[in-house]
Amino acid sequence: MNDEELIIAVREQRTKVHSATSVEQIISRGRAVRARRRIPGVAGALAVVAGAAVAVTALVSASHPASHQPSAQLAAWTVVKQADGNIYVTIRQFRDPAGLQTRLRADGVPASVTFTGQRNPACQPYPGTGLIGKVISVRQEDQRPVTIINPSALPSGAGLQFASSVQRQGAVPGVGVDLVQASPQCTGS
Amino acid sequence: MGVGTQRLDFAEFYRRSKDECLFTVLLSVGDRDTAQELVDEAFARAWASWRTVRRHPAPAAWVVRTSLNANISRWRRRRREVLVPDLGAVADLPAAEGASDGPVDARIMAALLRLPARQRQVVALRLVLDLDTGRAGEVLGITPSAVKAHLARAIASLRDDLMPERQQERPS
Repeated sequence: MNDEELIIAVREQRTKVHSATSVEQIISRGRAVRARRRIPGVAGALAVVAGAAVAVTALVSASHPASHQPSAQLAAWTVVKQADGNIYVTIRQFRDPAGLQTRLRADGVPASVTFTGQRNPACQPYPGTGLIGKVISVRQEDQRPVTIINPSALPSGAGLQFASSVQRQGAVPGVGVDLVQASPQCTGS
Repeated sequence: MGVGTQRLDFAEFYRRSKDECLFTVLLSVGDRDTAQELVDEAFARAWASWRTVRRHPAPAAWVVRTSLNANISRWRRRRREVLVPDLGAVADLPAAEGASDGPVDARIMAALLRLPARQRQVVALRLVLDLDTGRAGEVLGITPSAVKAHLARAIASLRDDLMPERQQERPS
């Protein structure tokens, strides 16, 4: 077997694994996905903002925090506070975590942000399960996940921790959002 | 495009790419049940956003990337990092009913699953999904040259694993 035969042998394997799920089942499940999107807060216990290292395609929002940058520059992240008080966070690249942290805190969200693959060791998990789903929801916009924070749903004494996934070979870049106990060392307050 | 036409369009895309996407994700995550769940959910999301996804240059790559992203989410929820491939379960996968092909080659699958995760992902995207280096790099968030390097290392590892006699022929 030479290299070419090896590649052919690998390619042949793809014809031998078959999905048993019917398109009707997928479409039915897709309707449930749409329904989930219409109900904020049911996106699960964890929001993952993925693809931060992939080519940036979105343009900067007019309300971008890094407004000192030229308008043609692409933003590493965007934070937009809506009239209803919800905060939309879009992370495109793992850059300027301190800036994102400052911006979130300025918008009233006790937050810790790390893009090093390590969590802030000063942060402690907030007790209880299922609470994060009331604070965070995720929406796809322009094929990019947007994390929506509902600050009014944050329990007293709680904050949010944004941490990139472990930087290791094979990992798809992502950011996890967890509920943590607010403290000066973790979330600034 | 009407809903009926969209449905037909999506159904054709699903029929054409479901097995390749499943195999691609299977190689990446190493577990059949996990791969099936991830791919089903990703296709469901693709249908939920079909008007957007259908315009993607490589919708199958969108599905694979959505699956891999969801796998990270699963991992974070479970707070476990290592997925141990169930080689037995993979090797026992039957061919589809009526298909003339036999079951997957256990030796090849085992060799593939022994590759580092990134190399497995590159092999899956380049050789299974037939993405070019640029598109594969976009899916994985790495440069095209890194894709080439990972693929070259993967081929070398597979060669050594599956063709040990050639390894022995090499000058020391």
